Amino acid sequence: MKILVVDDDAMAGEMTGAVLEDAGHAVVMAENGIEAMEKLNENPDVALVVSDMNMPMVSGIDLFRDLREQGLDIPFILLTGDDPGPLKAQEPRLDDCLTKDFTLDTSLIAAIDAVLARRG
Amino acid sequence: MENRSPSLREKVKQLRRTFLDKLPGTLSEARRLCDLLVRVPSDSNTLDDLYRTFHSIKGTGASFGLMEISAEGAGGEQLVLQLQGLEAGARGPQLAGMLPGLEARIVRMEELLKLARSQDEGGPAETPSFNLSENPQKIVSKRVFICDDDELQAETLAAQLSCFGYGVSIFTNPDSMRAALMVAPPDAVIMDIVFPGGVNGTDVVANLQREMRVPPPVVFISSRRDFEPRLRAVQAGGEAYFTKPVKAIELVEVLDSLTLGQEPEPFRVLVVDDEPEVAAYHSFILEQVGMTTRLLHEPSTILEELSEFKPDLVLMDMYMPTCTGRDLSRLIRQVPEFISLPIVFLSSETNKVKQVSALRVGAEGFLTKPIQPEDLISAVAIRAERMRTLRSLMVRDSLTGLFNHTFMSQFLDTALAGVKRESGRLCFAMIDVDHFKSVNDTHGHPAGDQVLVALARLLQQRLRHSDMVGRYGGEEFAVILQDVGVEEARTIIDNLRADFAKVRFSAGDREFSCSFSAGIAGFPAFAQADLIRESADQALYRAKKSGRNQVQVA
Repeated sequence: MKILVVDDDAMAGEMTGAVLEDAGHAVVMAENGIEAMEKLNENPDVALVVSDMNMPMVSGIDLFRDLREQGLDIPFILLTGDDPGPLKAQEPRLDDCLTKDFTLDTSLIAAIDAVLARRG
Repeated sequence: MENRSPSLREKVKQLRRTFLDKLPGTLSEARRLCDLLVRVPSDSNTLDDLYRTFHSIKGTGASFGLMEISAEGAGGEQLVLQLQGLEAGARGPQLAGMLPGLEARIVRMEELLKLARSQDEGGPAETPSFNLSENPQKIVSKRVFICDDDELQAETLAAQLSCFGYGVSIFTNPDSMRAALMVAPPDAVIMDIVFPGGVNGTDVVANLQREMRVPPPVVFISSRRDFEPRLRAVQAGGEAYFTKPVKAIELVEVLDSLTLGQEPEPFRVLVVDDEPEVAAYHSFILEQVGMTTRLLHEPSTILEELSEFKPDLVLMDMYMPTCTGRDLSRLIRQVPEFISLPIVFLSSETNKVKQVSALRVGAEGFLTKPIQPEDLISAVAIRAERMRTLRSLMVRDSLTGLFNHTFMSQFLDTALAGVKRESGRLCFAMIDVDHFKSVNDTHGHPAGDQVLVALARLLQQRLRHSDMVGRYGGEEFAVILQDVGVEEARTIIDNLRADFAKVRFSAGDREFSCSFSAGIAGFPAFAQADLIRESADQALYRAKKSGRNQVQVA
């Protein structure tokens, strides 16, 4: 499956990308919300977005809302350095919201599986 | 973690190492932002940047299992959040209290970084590294990379830039430059756009901007003059765009503004107080925010101290055993040199009448003890800043930004008095552009101004901080070299002469170069200021008579 990873911090993006690639996914990277939009247009086969929350200009949640506004119902997982609780409350339509930590290789993969299962 | 596949484990290990390698740069960026914030506490952009820096350390640190580093990042993030919650105007006072906390977190992260590295290596924390950027032997202060597949063109440009004190490394392909850049980032990058094999300079730079936390400023050069490459250059984060053939002078101007001014001279404050503890406390507060201070407990040496330390401002106790602050400030004001020096009184005096009488003798301000650190800092910083601006307007030449004739004459007098007292050495050099009139006549006045500005910049960049450079009038410049004998001065000025002759100027389609002649006279051979000036002028005259483009010593 092709997954778009959005993170302004190149190191963090690489890390997320490495986890996904290891799980057998193809990864497309973008470093901000605008580039994410471009990448989505260039790669219509992207099936899921994993985005960092805290980015300059367009935050992860803004990106999510923009996508939905444009009618793109692509599964969207938000990553954050903070407690995901308030973010989930703020935007209940998110497919999932996870804390960035060292267990990303299990938590993110599990979250993706769950999202896909839910969406069928 | 144990479930990870070997390739993922290796990749994560590598990424974690890269993160640790980059952390020192990130932390020094955090420090720089803190400094910036102290200067302009109301700047929300700086605050946002600082927030992101800590936030990213918190998040990425956690991703790599560096939980302690992540926690320190989170602590810093919290402090910045508190500041962000305040009104812009109220941040300054809070900031003073928070700075030690921020600094402590940064220091702690540096310690944790060493620890993490030693664990990774399973060996000593200090890994041998190539400290290209910290070579103390190096005279060149600014490093620039040029990346251009046309080696000849790059070398021509490098030769020109080196005349202005830039150390230049040339790379003919982007990959080798990228590798060097990761090891030791230069102060600026000059990047060609079109490379063989369809490689595009703007893409290379855009990638660098992604990969590096603090990418160096980039200037693009290209033979294309149309809109498209210019747009791509801007989108890639380029600071400037020059079409080939590049005019070195213009490029230097941009490089100067990109690489200078990041670290302004700290304010210098003389603290006069008969109580050492009180003086030490106030100086501690000011030094915390990067000012340079000197303490004076004995008022009788104040004039020597002022001449030597050259403060931007004097902070003075109102009541001292030998004399009052009022008397002392009147005494200072009677010396013409110090007539505009800001003096701020500090006292527990709350009597308005007495405060006003202190202001009447020329005090700039009156602060009441005990004073809040943030009030002291802002009171001092505002006045010192204003003093600097005023002084620079009074003593500088408007075209070149160098000191003007009046200032140079005064400075020679003062400096000479100093070296006489300490039986030191000093040289005075007069420099005059050769055939300047014909430059103006042939190429026009803008070209002539270009020559003067270039020479000014060359002198300013290549001489030491303690050397004074001034425009004496017309095409004539003066340099005061402190603590240097005439032979040494001759070598220094002659090297500048040789380099200046290499600089190529352009007027319209035509290129030309210029030279200068110089005359030098020094103390102790000549003991009076007038005599030194006159002798240097005569030596200059001889240099002109003997065929120009040379240096003569009186």
